[in-house]
Amino acid sequence: MSKRVLVVEDQEDNRQILRDLLASVGYEMIEAHDGEGALVAARTQRPDLILMDIQLPILDGYEATRRIKAQSDLRHIPIIVVTSYALGGDEEKARAAGCDAYVAKPYSARKLLETINRYLT
Amino acid sequence: MNLEADSTSFLGQRPLPAASRGSGDERSAKSGLLGFALRTSLRTKLLMAFFVIEMLLVSVGLIGLLSLREADQRANQVVGLQQKIEAYRQMQHNTLRQLYGVSTALAFPNETTLAVVLRQINQFGYDLDRVSFVAKDEVALLNQVREEYARFIAVVSNIVDLIRSGRAAEAKQSELAELGPLADKLERLTNQLVNRAEADMVAGIDASRQTYTKSQILVAAVALASFVLTLVLGHAISRSVIEPVRIIHDGLNRIAAGDFAQRIEVPNRDELGDLAAHVNSTCEELQQLYRSLEEASRHKSQFLANMSHELRTPLNAVLGFSELMLDGIYGSPPEKMRSAVERIQRNGRHLLGLINDVLDLSKIEAGQLRLSLTDYSVEELVNVVHTSVESLAADKNLSLRIAVPLGLPLARGDERRLAQALFNLVGNAIKFTDAGEVRIEVETRRDFYVFSVQDTGPGIDEADQARIFQEFQQVDNSITKTKGGAGLGLAIVKRIVEMHGGRIWIESRLGQGARFSFLVPARLEQQAMQT
Repeated sequence: MSKRVLVVEDQEDNRQILRDLLASVGYEMIEAHDGEGALVAARTQRPDLILMDIQLPILDGYEATRRIKAQSDLRHIPIIVVTSYALGGDEEKARAAGCDAYVAKPYSARKLLETINRYLT
Repeated sequence: MNLEADSTSFLGQRPLPAASRGSGDERSAKSGLLGFALRTSLRTKLLMAFFVIEMLLVSVGLIGLLSLREADQRANQVVGLQQKIEAYRQMQHNTLRQLYGVSTALAFPNETTLAVVLRQINQFGYDLDRVSFVAKDEVALLNQVREEYARFIAVVSNIVDLIRSGRAAEAKQSELAELGPLADKLERLTNQLVNRAEADMVAGIDASRQTYTKSQILVAAVALASFVLTLVLGHAISRSVIEPVRIIHDGLNRIAAGDFAQRIEVPNRDELGDLAAHVNSTCEELQQLYRSLEEASRHKSQFLANMSHELRTPLNAVLGFSELMLDGIYGSPPEKMRSAVERIQRNGRHLLGLINDVLDLSKIEAGQLRLSLTDYSVEELVNVVHTSVESLAADKNLSLRIAVPLGLPLARGDERRLAQALFNLVGNAIKFTDAGEVRIEVETRRDFYVFSVQDTGPGIDEADQARIFQEFQQVDNSITKTKGGAGLGLAIVKRIVEMHGGRIWIESRLGQGARFSFLVPARLEQQAMQT
């Protein structure tokens, strides 16, 4: 059974890149466009990994990560936080929210894939 | 606030601003000369001071004049007494002469001696007139003297008659029995007058000596009092002028140093108080101006930060898709297309670098960039930078060397930012060096690490060395055309180093390469204040 990755990203172009990238290695991709959507998708679809953007409408990535990690049945799902260009303090904030890994934009597709694979294999 | 209205009212009686007034209440309680000096205008103060001094001079003069007049009066008195005594003596003298004249007439009774006696009788009239003129105050005694003289003259006249009628024995008898005792009585009376006049004279001389001493003391006291009063006045006025001038001077120094939050507080309510209030209002305007400038600068930085973020979002998509294309995710691209996509990638990354530099700088200027302090290994940091520039150096056939002492203890700072700083320096060195080598060195200097990047490039003229750390500055604008770059790299490096409390410098001579060095604390526990 193929691994399922929940991509939380509000930009369609970025989602398309990830769609193409994940499809190329045979991962199934679930999509959410904002933090609240991420909470619902995590609960109903039980992905194997979550790629979480930080700047999201309604509920930002930090808060969404915090809420998912607060639920005992969802806590085990690895969350990789993807932020825009990193400023000092972003990494600490992401870690404090409970994410497992942290990738700063602009990321190289290859490097991102390496990080994803670390948690899925 | 309206500047024009302010400056015109400066000369007039503009009421002080509320703040100065409030604190003035406590001052109005301050009574006495100083309090008065603080409340009154400078012009009034000076006028009054000069008036007081003038009055003191006039009063010293008046006192001198009065003393002189008194001395003159005393002298006149003494002269009057002397005249009195003179007149008394004259009268005594004439009495003696009459006695002598009568004796002669008795011894040689003829018309000649008798004529002398009769002439002498007339003389008494003059003497009495003179005495009663100079001694108007001796009424009682003088009346007695006058009566006695009348009797004396009567006796003398009687004796003359007796001699003429040849009754010499009777005349002699009258002389002895009446004239002698009368003359004695007259002498006693005039002596009494003389004694009185002499006593008056002694008293007058005494009094005049006392008056002189009194005047001396009075003039000296008034002079001393004037001296003290002038000193006190001078002190009060100069304090009321010098002290506020000093306070205003200090205040202006602080304003010049950029402290607009302060207020100048002087106790004066005169022209200097107005000046202080004026400086305060100007300072407030400066502060507002400064704030609005700061705000404008912050808005500019914020705008740049937002803008570059917005620019980056679509650029990320461009880079993402082109990378996937190069990775063959959409199928293996034909060679020509691969080359074109590689160009898209290269240019996109360059554009991203520029945008990131603008973002960095504007974040730093907006005060939004915080250092993220962690422990890091200097060796690892240099290696990371080395790895990321290796290919760039290789492309230009430059040798890239590293000299880091072994076994350095863990350092503390913002590893990613320091790596960015070193990366910028090495990137520049590679960009501007066409042949030779680029060397990265690290050395310890007490509690600091010094990172240096040495190249064999064209070098930088001394005149340009100070300029290159400013944003948008490159040594020669024509370089931009051949080498690219917006001139932001060094400005960012400088800011990062300064945020670490360090400094950056360059050693270079034209044609002999350049050596950029920066020094940062080995262990930074707290971000340095931004300047």
